Amino acid sequence: MSPGRIRALIILAVLVLWEALPRSGLVPVLFLPPLSLTLAVLAADWPTFAAALGVTLSEVAVALVFAVGGGLLTGALVGGLAGPRRLLLPVFSSLYAVPLVVLYPVMTAWFGIGAESKIAFASVYGFFPTMLATAAGIRTIDPQLLLTARSMGATPAQRLLLVILPAAIPTVLSGLRLGGALVIVGVVVAEMLIASAGIGYLVTFARTVLDSPRVFAGVLLVLLIAIGFDLAMRWVERRCALWSTAGRPQSAPAAAVPT
Amino acid sequence: MLVLGRLALLAGFCALWEALPRVGLADPELLPPFSTVLATLGELLARPALLADLGTTTLELLVAVALALPLGTLLGLALGENERLARIFDPLVFFLFSIPKSIFLPLFILTMGIGFWQKVAFGVFSTLFIVLMSAAAAVRSVRPDHVFTARAFGASRAQIAWRVYLPSMLPILLEGFRLAVIFGFTAVLLAEMYASRTGMGHQIASWGENFMLQRLFAGVLLLSVVAIAMNEAIRGIEARCSHWRS
Repeated sequence: MSPGRIRALIILAVLVLWEALPRSGLVPVLFLPPLSLTLAVLAADWPTFAAALGVTLSEVAVALVFAVGGGLLTGALVGGLAGPRRLLLPVFSSLYAVPLVVLYPVMTAWFGIGAESKIAFASVYGFFPTMLATAAGIRTIDPQLLLTARSMGATPAQRLLLVILPAAIPTVLSGLRLGGALVIVGVVVAEMLIASAGIGYLVTFARTVLDSPRVFAGVLLVLLIAIGFDLAMRWVERRCALWSTAGRPQSAPAAAVPT
Repeated sequence: MLVLGRLALLAGFCALWEALPRVGLADPELLPPFSTVLATLGELLARPALLADLGTTTLELLVAVALALPLGTLLGLALGENERLARIFDPLVFFLFSIPKSIFLPLFILTMGIGFWQKVAFGVFSTLFIVLMSAAAAVRSVRPDHVFTARAFGASRAQIAWRVYLPSMLPILLEGFRLAVIFGFTAVLLAEMYASRTGMGHQIASWGENFMLQRLFAGVLLLSVVAIAMNEAIRGIEARCSHWRS
C-alpha cells in the first residue's frame, strides 16, 4: 500500500473512532461527543456561531494590521540596518521567551473586556514572531541584485521599487502567514479568558455548562479558520514564488503543504 | 560596546516605566511606577503562598517537559530513521505541529478537570510535536558518509551512536528542548489562567480581575525574568556544546 493510502486510512479510522467510541459508550459523550452530533450542533446553531465568528474575525482583522504592519516595519528596520541588528536582534530573541499570555490581564485592566483588549493582546502576540521572521528574511535579499542594479545606473528609488520590494515579497508573505496564524490564536485565547462575545467566549461558556458538543463545534470552527488561513496564504506564497523565482531553479520546500 | 548599549536600553526602559506615571503622562493606577512594582515584588516574594504558587507552576512545567522530551525524542528518532514510517506520518506530524494548541485547552478541562495533571497533560500536548520535529530533524542531520567512515574504521554501534550521532544531533535536540521549555511555560500558565485554583497563572488572572495592578505587574515582571533566565541558561548550554563540537 502506498504511504498516501495508509495515511488516508489512518485519518478515516480517526473519524470513525470519533463517531464510534462515544456511541458505543466506551468514552463518555462529555469527553468526546460523536462527530455527527458535533456537526449537527454546528449546523443547528449556525446563526449563533456565525455571529460569534463575525466578532472574532473583525478583531482578527484589526489586530492583523497592527501586528503584521508593525512587525514588518520594525523587522525590516532592525534586520536591514547593521547597527540596530547587532544591538537589538539578540534582545528581541531573548524577549521572545517571555510568556506573553500573562500580559492579557494587563490589557483587560487597561482597555476593558471589549474588543479593544483582544486587539491589543493579539497585536502584541503576533508582533514579535513576525518581526523576527522579517528581520531574518530581509537579509536573504541577494546583495548581487543590488550591486547589479547599481552598476547599471539604477536610482535609489528604482532600486527600492524594482529590486528590494520584489525581492522582499516572499518575506512579507511568510510574515503575514505567521503573524496571521498567531493573531487568530491570540484573539481566540483572549476571548476564552475574559470576554463577552466571540467564538472563544462561546467555547468557554459552553465549557462551563459542560455542553461538550458545542465546545467541540467551536474548537473545530477555530481550527478550520486557522487551517483555511494557512492554506490560502501558502497558495498565495506559491504563486508569488513561481513568479519571483522565474529563471531560478525551483526550490523544493515551496511545495511542502500540510495535507 | 554592544553589551553597554543593551544595558542602556534596559536602563532606559526602566527609567521610562518609572517616569511616565510619576510625571503624570500615565495614570499611576493603571501603570504603577517601576520602583513601586519592584517593592511589591519584594513583598510578594517574602510570602510563602506566592512561593508555593511559583513552585506549583515550576513543577507542572518540569513534569510536562520531562514527559514530552523522552516521548517526543523516541517518536522523532523513529520517524528520522525509518523511511517508510516517515513517508506515512510526516505530513500528519507536520499538520499536528502547525495547528494552534491553545484552543484545545477546554477539551482538557472536560476530560481531566482543573487539577495538576490537566496542566501537565496540556503542557505535554503543547510541546510534544516541537520535540518530535526537532528529534527527527536531528537524526536527518547525521551525515551518512560519517557513519560509513566510522563503520569502515571498525567502530562499534555504541561508538557510532556516541561519537557520530550524538555530536551531530545535540545542537538541534537542545534547540528543540529550549523551544519546548518556552512553549511549555506559556501552556502551563495559560492553563492556570483559564481554570485553576493554584499556580502563578491563577494569581496573575485573579490580580487582573481584582484590579490589583501593582501585584499584577510584579507578577508579570517575575515571570518574564524567570522565562528569560531559563531561555538564556539553555542557550548557554547550546553554545557550550557547539564549542565542544568544533
